[in-house]
Amino acid sequence: MQILPRPSRLTAGQRRFASIGIAPILVYVLGFGILSMLWATAMSFFAYTPTRQGSGFLGLGGANPFVALGNYRELLWGVTKPAKVFRLAVGNTFLFTVLALPLNLLITLPLAVMLESVRERMRTLFRAIYFLPTITSSVATYLIWRELYADNWGLISTFMKMIGLTPPKSFLFDSQAVYFGVPLAMVACVIAHVWQDFGYNLVIFIAALQGIPKSIREAAKIDGANAWQEFRFVVVPLLSRTLLFTCVLTVLSSLQVFVIFQLLTRGGPNNQTQTMLLSIYQNAFVFANNLGLAGAMSMVLFMIILILTVVQFRMLRTQWEY
Amino acid sequence: MAAIAKDKQSKSGISVLAKAGVYIVLLAGLLVTVLPFVYILLSVFKTNTELIQVPPTFLPQNPTFINFTTIFTDKDLNLPRFFYNSLFVSLARVGITLFTSSFAGYIFAKYDFRGKTFAFWMILVLIMIPFQVVMIPNYLILARLGLMDTLWALIVPTMVDAFGIFMMKQFIESLPSELLDAARIDGSSEFGIYARVALPQMGAPLASLGIFTFMATWNDYLWPLIVITSTENRTLPLLLTWYDTQHSSNHALGLTGGLIILAPIMLVYIFLQRWIVDSATQSAFK
Repeated sequence: MQILPRPSRLTAGQRRFASIGIAPILVYVLGFGILSMLWATAMSFFAYTPTRQGSGFLGLGGANPFVALGNYRELLWGVTKPAKVFRLAVGNTFLFTVLALPLNLLITLPLAVMLESVRERMRTLFRAIYFLPTITSSVATYLIWRELYADNWGLISTFMKMIGLTPPKSFLFDSQAVYFGVPLAMVACVIAHVWQDFGYNLVIFIAALQGIPKSIREAAKIDGANAWQEFRFVVVPLLSRTLLFTCVLTVLSSLQVFVIFQLLTRGGPNNQTQTMLLSIYQNAFVFANNLGLAGAMSMVLFMIILILTVVQFRMLRTQWEY
Repeated sequence: MAAIAKDKQSKSGISVLAKAGVYIVLLAGLLVTVLPFVYILLSVFKTNTELIQVPPTFLPQNPTFINFTTIFTDKDLNLPRFFYNSLFVSLARVGITLFTSSFAGYIFAKYDFRGKTFAFWMILVLIMIPFQVVMIPNYLILARLGLMDTLWALIVPTMVDAFGIFMMKQFIESLPSELLDAARIDGSSEFGIYARVALPQMGAPLASLGIFTFMATWNDYLWPLIVITSTENRTLPLLLTWYDTQHSSNHALGLTGGLIILAPIMLVYIFLQRWIVDSATQSAFK
């Protein structure tokens, strides 16, 4: 694989300029990327707290003893609170992703197809507005959603009363409200998240649809395909690569959502919306009593991300070659 | 003939109906998208009492600036300082990222040096490392550097954007090498060629890299939450934390704070929306 061009005819001076120029950037990458990564890995094998003066390199060892796979064992089978909460968090993170991805696609795909069918001017206008939540500060948007979800006076419960429904006791804080095994608070977070996030997939789908040659869709129409058949048997297969690509990105970003949970629920009620990143943050920076354990949590999240990415790109390849 | 004409007519009848259906769905989507924004715009002109009354009002009954005056005259809250911090950090990160991305991209695209392949793989590995894995060590590194609770803590860990380097390298490869050789013959230094010949060609990709770096920094919440403790070093998104702890029961003030955070980006977006959306789309296809 030739990913780097090999410029010929370079003088010694030019090579020197290149080496000297790139060196600081590489040193930096080594420090804040690679070293950090290795440090995080190493830390996850120690019972480490920065306030304790360790004996070894980077304060690991001595008062911060080596525990081998102790932290990981703790996360898997441990009975301490952080470990128990983390196991819940892994399940919740997956639940969130499994809910957010289909909802996102169910909204963005049809919307993109519809947008593609309207006039250019209108399309640009709609697209610009649909993209608005995506560029907005997530802190500000969740601040708004918190008010929309407010009990009693919130806009959503008011709307439900208007159309004759009984709003739930509380959207975000009632641990008893569980529908089909999904806590209401989680549903609320998913909806707010998809609202903020759908614009990104939408604009990608619109661009991909515009890349499909008109002649192919015309041919389907001449062969007597109706709109649904055209969508199902022409557009979707041609979009499959883009579709999988957006799935990868959506899954990865869903696994790493932080702000929404921090601002809407803080992981509550009763840990029903506790997620992995929230657990890592709390253990590392709020409780701050065992960074080794928090490090192990972040490695677990990293492994999950890595495995999912590899699996999805494998799928991407097979889909592409059929 | 008549049958065909009728067929045509009914078909166009269906298509008019379908078109109407499409617009209804699109408008419904639009309503859901803008409603939260409308809500915040109307709410900031209500008193807290009016905001939380049941049933709620739609338009403000007695429009008031009380929330704005409360925030802007709050002696403990140095809003211009927050704003300055956000702007400083965002602009610094944009400037540094654009330089490191374009310079490293330029070297990778147009030069050769010992260990180049290895160096490039290092950049690719960096793209794959998620933030939350290096979050804890980066925090510890900053503590050792004595940068904790300074604005530099928000800048130093993200001075090199691996994706930015990759993107710029792809772009610079398409620039003709003859252009650089011509400058060389004219006696320009190697850095001079980068700065005066290559850089001016990179306007478009640098602009989109810049705007996304700016927005990501401006909107960032988690990292400032971790490394900033003192009030005077807070960035705008942390304003929210301020109002949560100081006036947790005053929802109108909280929303007004939210509007202050999102307004600057909104203003930029109104003027650059077409270009921003196009850039977002293109970066996804690279």
